[in-house]
Amino acid sequence: MNIHINGKAYSLSHEVHISVSSALTLHFIEPQQSTFAVALNGDFVGKADYDTTLVKNGDSLDVLLPIQGG
Amino acid sequence: MMALNIYGHQLDSRLLIGSALYPSPEVMKQAILASGSQVVTLSLKRQNPAEQSGQQIWRYIQEVVTEVNGHLLPNTAGCKTAKEAVTLAKMSREIFKTNWLKLEVIGDDYNLQPDPIELLNAAEQLIKDGFKVLPYCTDDLVLCQRLYDLGCQVIMPWASPIGTGKGLMNPYNLETIRLRLPDATLILDAGIGKPSDACLAMEMGYDGILLNSAVALADNPILMAKAFSHALEAGEQAYVAGVMQQRQTAHPSTPTLDTPFWHQNS
Repeated sequence: MNIHINGKAYSLSHEVHISVSSALTLHFIEPQQSTFAVALNGDFVGKADYDTTLVKNGDSLDVLLPIQGG
Repeated sequence: MMALNIYGHQLDSRLLIGSALYPSPEVMKQAILASGSQVVTLSLKRQNPAEQSGQQIWRYIQEVVTEVNGHLLPNTAGCKTAKEAVTLAKMSREIFKTNWLKLEVIGDDYNLQPDPIELLNAAEQLIKDGFKVLPYCTDDLVLCQRLYDLGCQVIMPWASPIGTGKGLMNPYNLETIRLRLPDATLILDAGIGKPSDACLAMEMGYDGILLNSAVALADNPILMAKAFSHALEAGEQAYVAGVMQQRQTAHPSTPTLDTPFWHQNS
């Protein structure tokens, strides 16, 4: 299946779906040290739901972190 | 100065300040401290594993907010629909552990003017979900009234488009909003360029000012932050003191009784 994380394409040949937790490991260097929040296809996914929410073919994941703002 | 009321929280400073555009994180921190502000705005962006600067900025913001016993005010910058804003708000709440939200829904890319329809829609959903919404909006009286009626206790009309520094484009509109919404906490947001702009809004009876570029883009942001702090204090004191009525004709300040001799024959 093919998914996007923050606009970057990832191809996973063997899976039909993976959890948000697993998807995050594709993208992060040190996820445990980062402050971030997640949206799947434009809908918020809370941390408590990372293991049970599934990412499927064609899905788009946004991983956001704090920045300065006005 | 009297306390600023944000959804029941009493704050000593009436200045809310942004964390963007400073020459360095350290200058940002020192400028925020110099401003006396206890509310710092910030945002979210896509995570890039190769880029660690975001985490560094976040640490600086946390440090300064802790030091002033202040509050974070996440924004929804970049959102163009109510749905986007609601999603970003929920992500912000999880990260920043606050239900305060500067709600921005932009309707036009040229002047970053808020979309009033999407803004109302988003505000309604977010209030139902427990957020304390501080909507950034245009200086439209009816829009401000509708936001207040929805439950936005704080309303933040613009002075002029974000980052322009043009000051108060339409003082009449802003004065009318103050007059018609006497119980709302009104914070002028965006477009402030000079301390005198902020002072003018405070003289109108505005409760506070939210700014970023005017301090961050100054030659000396730390000194400018202090200047804004003084301007807000001056403007608030002038409003409380009561500004004199303008008069159409001149009135001598010096008593005219017993005018000196050189006017006797004129």
